[in-house]
Amino acid sequence: MRDFDYIAPKSVEETIKVLSEYKDEAKIIAGGQSLLNILKQDLMAPEILVDIKHLSELDYITYDEKEGMRIGATTTHHAVEVSPLVIEHYPILSEMEHTLAFPQTRNWGTIGGNLCIQDPTGDVAPPLIALRATVKIVGPNGERILPMEDFSTDYYETVLEEDEILAEVRIPPMAPRTGVAYSKFRIVEGDAPIVGAAVAFTLNEDGTCADARIATNGTAPIPLRIPDAEAVFKGKKITDELIQEAVEVAGEAMECIPDIVASDEYKKRVAKVYIKRMARKALSQIQ
Amino acid sequence: MSEFSVIGKPVRRIDGLEKVTGAAQYTTDIKLPGMLIGKMLRSPHPHAKILNIDTSAAEKLLGVKAVITGPRDTLGVKYSNWRRYPHLMDETALAMDRVRYIGEPIAAVAAVDADVAEEALSLIEVEYEILPAVFDPLEAMKDGAPQIHEGPTVRNNVSEARHFEFGNVDEAFKKCDYVREDTFYLHPVIHAFIEPYNSVARYEGDGKLTIWTSTQTPYYIQTLLAMALGLKEGNIRVIKPHVGGGFGGKMELFSDQVVAAILSMKTGKPVKVELTREECFEGGRRRHPMYYTLKTGYMKDGTILAKEAKLYTDGGAYNAMGPTSLYLSGFFQMFPYAIPNYRYDGFHVYTNKTPATAMRGFGGPQAEFTCDSQIDMIAEHLGMDPAEIRLKNRMKPGHVIPGLAKVESCGIKECIERAMESTGWKEKKGKLPKGRGIGMGCYGFMSGGVFNWINSPYAYSGAMVRVNVDGTVDVYIGSAEIGQGSDTVAAQIVAEKLGVPMSDINVVRGDTRTCPPDLGAWGSRQTLMVGNALIMACDQILDKLYKTAAALMGPNVVYDYAAKDGRVFIKERPERGLDFVEVVKAAIRADEGNQLIGRGYYTPHDKGMVSPAYSFGAQVAEVEVDEETGKVTLLQVTTAHDCGQVINELGVEGQLEGAFVMGQGYTLSENLVTDQGKILNPSFVDYKLMRAPDVPENFTSLMVETYEPEGPFGAKEAGEGLTNPNAGCIANAIYDAIGVRITDMPITPEKILKALDEKKKKEAKG
Ligand SMILES: Cc1cc2nc3c(=O)[nH]c(=O)nc-3n(C[C@H](O)[C@H](O)[C@H](O)COP(=O)(O)OP(=O)(O)OC[C@H]3O[C@@H](n4cnc5c(N)ncnc54)[C@H](O)[C@@H]3O)c2cc1C
Repeated sequence: MRDFDYIAPKSVEETIKVLSEYKDEAKIIAGGQSLLNILKQDLMAPEILVDIKHLSELDYITYDEKEGMRIGATTTHHAVEVSPLVIEHYPILSEMEHTLAFPQTRNWGTIGGNLCIQDPTGDVAPPLIALRATVKIVGPNGERILPMEDFSTDYYETVLEEDEILAEVRIPPMAPRTGVAYSKFRIVEGDAPIVGAAVAFTLNEDGTCADARIATNGTAPIPLRIPDAEAVFKGKKITDELIQEAVEVAGEAMECIPDIVASDEYKKRVAKVYIKRMARKALSQIQ
Repeated sequence: MSEFSVIGKPVRRIDGLEKVTGAAQYTTDIKLPGMLIGKMLRSPHPHAKILNIDTSAAEKLLGVKAVITGPRDTLGVKYSNWRRYPHLMDETALAMDRVRYIGEPIAAVAAVDADVAEEALSLIEVEYEILPAVFDPLEAMKDGAPQIHEGPTVRNNVSEARHFEFGNVDEAFKKCDYVREDTFYLHPVIHAFIEPYNSVARYEGDGKLTIWTSTQTPYYIQTLLAMALGLKEGNIRVIKPHVGGGFGGKMELFSDQVVAAILSMKTGKPVKVELTREECFEGGRRRHPMYYTLKTGYMKDGTILAKEAKLYTDGGAYNAMGPTSLYLSGFFQMFPYAIPNYRYDGFHVYTNKTPATAMRGFGGPQAEFTCDSQIDMIAEHLGMDPAEIRLKNRMKPGHVIPGLAKVESCGIKECIERAMESTGWKEKKGKLPKGRGIGMGCYGFMSGGVFNWINSPYAYSGAMVRVNVDGTVDVYIGSAEIGQGSDTVAAQIVAEKLGVPMSDINVVRGDTRTCPPDLGAWGSRQTLMVGNALIMACDQILDKLYKTAAALMGPNVVYDYAAKDGRVFIKERPERGLDFVEVVKAAIRADEGNQLIGRGYYTPHDKGMVSPAYSFGAQVAEVEVDEETGKVTLLQVTTAHDCGQVINELGVEGQLEGAFVMGQGYTLSENLVTDQGKILNPSFVDYKLMRAPDVPENFTSLMVETYEPEGPFGAKEAGEGLTNPNAGCIANAIYDAIGVRITDMPITPEKILKALDEKKKKEAKG
């Protein structure tokens, strides 16, 4: 790891100023759980680390019946995991956090850091996509709001400009008759996922599908929302056959990358299994 | 015999408090005034001639204090643990004119800090002539393959061949009702100790050097460093601070140790050389990949009459401890079965990869995977219970392996029976619902080796015990605590012998200047060997104390005495005795104040070719296989281990659990993947170690106690044996669950799915 300077701005405003000044010489550090590993391997050598972990204006979880939930970017995984508001309104997020890494990493790592590092296997994005989350980005020209699925652009790349930060995750209230499930496949527990799948269904009163969301991790350079597979369910009664059909459609959208642990075919096969399982699980929550 | 005070009890580790509070010092904590940081330049090529090394630019960099290369700054001595067999010594600290694997050290720098040292490395220019390389042992043995080493004893890259044979194998095969032959492949894994290789050397002038280093074998480092540096052994002081694991990967002299010493000699400053995790992968060691062929002949009733094993190991670029892994793998292939006719041929083959060496189990994990897998195949063929066929062919106490070993104590029968009973084997085997299965693996292991490769004139273990006037006891041992708990065991043995509390024992260890020579931590030898040396030392002290007590008490008949609970007393009349401290004081006074010291040693006598004693054990695992993903979940694991007399119950339990988790990773997830000699996963992100949440919740350790006449208080090994049965045990359970057998390791979910697909295809065809 190379030497670097360290700045701890006192506010979001000051953070943006610092970033605007130093541009690509500066790098945000939140919990450091991903960044420090990257620095240690000399994959990146910023001149200045800008620490936002202590900014209390980015550390909160609120809920409003109409607006839904807001989670500040520096909220730790642990805080999300144990938040009574999260457990009450979006239990899937608490469950997801409970299986993300280890307590040590969850105590330090932040939800913003997880989304910004944009590891294509990351746990946080798929359930957020399934929950229709949006993200608030703050920069020198003010704020912009984007759907979660539009935030990531490539491996370890997001829409963030050098002088922007991710400030908040917003999740709309859950519609009635909605079920959401997420799970991931790992060979070693506590490890990053190999692949994972999140599925959400909202049913009409007659039991047909009003809306479906399917998102996977580890199956593309970015968290993959699969609209073609979602469309299979629209307006129909969800059956095992229909799920199988959607799974096959979803498989077409995946471009898994082989690595040391698993081949691309294997990853795709397992991701499909997980979509099937999560679809059944989400459905079982409403039926 | 069972009225022990501390032996066999769950005793807290004597280094536990400082370790859990973070106070324990490791080599990385050693920081000396003026200390420089050393770093090594490593080969990017698997096989190349070095034409020229230009260090001039590096030397000019501000902050660089020394730059060394093999030809210019080292003696170029080939060293290794094989001092008795010089033809096997093939490695130098820095490459002399050729590199044979990616990661081989070529040059080193000492600089004021790590950043400068790194930068200096990038300024060293090496001119290479790339040579053709070979990565697979079977390829390397072919005529025309690149020759990795020259030398009269190396032919077609085979550096060592091992052969042993007894009985009449060919005749026996003819008599057998059935003969089957199976082939297996075992993959490479790494030791994965948490503490990287690390050394701090301080040259003090006049040929005197102190080195703090993370090692399993301080005495080997002392002698071999003397050889590599041209210094006197006695002028080199090796200090082993606490060690964060070794598992066989730290029992040799390594480049970091030699390079730190030379850089310190050049600069006159202390120099620290600490490897990064990536360097531990690339410049470290690994467990041998092996190609195994087993031919086994058996009768209809399940009796195994003959076995022939053939083995090709991928040794990597240098011998390291490979020739012993090769030997022991062929030897443990028999365990724990009484094979009347056996033939073994093993070949240690050089390849252009990191050298493979000893690793927990020392050839045993590979042997037992193949042996246990095949025994289950035989049992299935005969329609027998795999436990029954194991019981039928088991070794018995007193078993003789002609020309190789005599097994005295042997509790394998009890181990198998207790493991069966505790897991409900009979109710479960073959009767679990689809997707769930149960399997067994068995093993035997050595309690220390009779090997003296290093050619030490000293005893294998030495000990000195000094009793102070207040009854506290200083224990001097050269054995190496590396996390396995051996210092605690040593303290227990002395506490028991002298009848003093554990809190009165102070263990002096890890320093070759003050401690007796000892061959160190390998081959599960320390409890037995240093234990025996300690018993001898304590007996000398007790002899003096008993005589003193007799003189003080003056009974009119001659009695035997005993020491226990802080008293020295007449054995038959325990009420007649004296306070331990009082007797100690009197004994010292009576000897004109001379210190009360006992000295002991142990070297195995007449113990065959391998070990003074053998542990045994049986393991049963119950698994669940997800047939859609291939993932294996361990529902329950039970191990029954015969380590003779248990010395520390907590210690044995810890070793059994740790060994299993290591075996679990070996079987299911770990794999050192290389492409053209380049390691593709040199980090703990990509190299998949099992972690705490992966450990099966239901893990039961059963201790089967036998009495081993050669062991201290009857004790045997408990450190390595249990690494051996895991793979076979899990493979057998997977077969029971889903009917597929994986013979090339590791057993990944992907391989399981592929095998299931093939099985389905076959079934569909009819
Ligand atoms: C042992 C271990 C296990 C792990 N297992 C998992 C796992 O199972 N699943 C999983 O999904 N992840 C896992 N991770 C990754 C880790 O959980 C996340 O990457 C972590 O939460 C990142 O948060 P952080 O606050 O530590 O980010 P940092 O490491 O501080 O930053 C990460 C990146 O995001 C940028 N950044 C951070 N916050 C902001 C912001 N608000 N605006 C703009 N840029 C920002 C930084 O500049 C940096 O590039 C694991 C990590 C470790 C060390």
